[in-house]
Amino acid sequence: MLESFVNFFGNTGVAALLSVDPVDAVKTIIMLVIACVLLYLAIVKKYEPLLLLPIAFGMLLTNLPMLKDSSAIMMHAEWFTVDHPDIAKIVSNGGLLDLLYLGVKLGIYPPLIFVGIGCMTDFGPLIANPKSILLGAAAQFGVFFTFVGALVISALVPAIAWGVKEAASIGIIGGADGPTAIYVTKSLAPELLPAIAIAAYSYMALIPIIQPPFMKLLTTKKARAVVMDQLRPVSQTEKIIFPIVVTIIVALIIPDAVTLVGCLMLGNLMKESGVCKRLVDTAQNALMNIVTIFLGVTVGATATAGNFLSVGTLGIVALGLVAFIFSTCGGLILGDIMYVLTKGKVNPLIGSAGVSAVPMAARVSQTVGQKENPSNFLLMHAMGPNVAGVIGSAVAAGVFLAMFS
Amino acid sequence: MNLSEAFATGGETAVIGMGIVFGVLIILLIVLQLFKVIFYKDPAKANKAQTAVSEKVVAPDPVGITTEPDKEEDDEQLIAVITAAIAASLNTSTYNLNIKSIRRVSPGRPAWNRAGLNETINNRF
Repeated sequence: MLESFVNFFGNTGVAALLSVDPVDAVKTIIMLVIACVLLYLAIVKKYEPLLLLPIAFGMLLTNLPMLKDSSAIMMHAEWFTVDHPDIAKIVSNGGLLDLLYLGVKLGIYPPLIFVGIGCMTDFGPLIANPKSILLGAAAQFGVFFTFVGALVISALVPAIAWGVKEAASIGIIGGADGPTAIYVTKSLAPELLPAIAIAAYSYMALIPIIQPPFMKLLTTKKARAVVMDQLRPVSQTEKIIFPIVVTIIVALIIPDAVTLVGCLMLGNLMKESGVCKRLVDTAQNALMNIVTIFLGVTVGATATAGNFLSVGTLGIVALGLVAFIFSTCGGLILGDIMYVLTKGKVNPLIGSAGVSAVPMAARVSQTVGQKENPSNFLLMHAMGPNVAGVIGSAVAAGVFLAMFS
Repeated sequence: MNLSEAFATGGETAVIGMGIVFGVLIILLIVLQLFKVIFYKDPAKANKAQTAVSEKVVAPDPVGITTEPDKEEDDEQLIAVITAAIAASLNTSTYNLNIKSIRRVSPGRPAWNRAGLNETINNRF
């Protein structure tokens, strides 16, 4: 009786916590506290709760104290950070989260999310005002600027050893696109995945706070009040041909971007063609929600103390902010140039919407513009650069994958 | 990697990367401009052509005017509604008002419509 009780106690989480090195025990507790703080941000502050809540809970699950080699361990993050993960071992011995994480590791979830995003995206404003596509390109500036920044920090700070792969994964945070960031990072720098995903999603939620100061700094009062011409009507034929043409062009130039762009365009074609209403309904609701749960929990679960509690994580959080700011500025500066070249027909505020966070960034352009000119309505004009930014950051991701994987 | 290497590698990648991103999107820009040429007819030009034709057809036949009365009737209703609205907001009767002209001010979006949209946008932040 006593013996079975002692056996039982020996298997508890308390025993596991007591059995490890005190430093590791403290780290475990710190990770649990961080997970709880993120849960607080998701639930009370409502920062992207649909993603942050599963991520934070995944983090909680993976850091629960467990005995070494216990069969109750749900996630073995260390199995995935090696160069060639042993899939057979993961399938036969892995816990629940190990198995679900294969969807991230094998690059299945982010493209599926892109199918859903494609179903919800209207490329009409972009087709009506093609020039706005350039703003979507300029707003990738932060991605490459941060790439250089990460390499420089790695050279200056001895505690951080990032190569080009890590720098690329950190830079892509500036694309302001969660699935793209995850897709690149899982291939190039899997050990940075939790920090990068959390930074990307947190800053996306903070876009209404991050962007407006720079929007005011880089534009004049007169330019902010510009009312743009109404967009031309776009026919259904154009909307149907657009996704097909984009997929082919992107494939011809940068094949590594096709997984993301192709899935985005598949979803968009299903929607615009109007002949697969049931599929569209599933892709943008059920499928997207299911994948979001799997993706969030498993990405959070990679945040073990070993992966997450490092100087590098602080660097990623700082560089992520830099990436967002410089992407915003890149778009705004090209917006200013277009304002001058068109003799005041383009409102430069739509430039900041070139960071892809759809539709949050476009709403910020609208709100800031309206403060200057209450009767102005920039939302549809800002949607053009906004959806172009999604294509732009997927292409930037393709560039990194082509160069470094 | 030392500092100069970091700048060299990083700078090179950044230039190539930005170049490719701009390149791909500029090609898409050209394609979209083609879309406009191929699929889009400017309604102003199209209308001009149409009215020119209809004038020619209608001119010899005085009975052939069918759309005009409908349009006038719509306008009369609109004038009545606007008059009533002004009367209500001024707390007076429509008999005391003499509407001389009604002009649409830009933008073409009514104030209540704008207010509604703003509210929706702000709610979703």
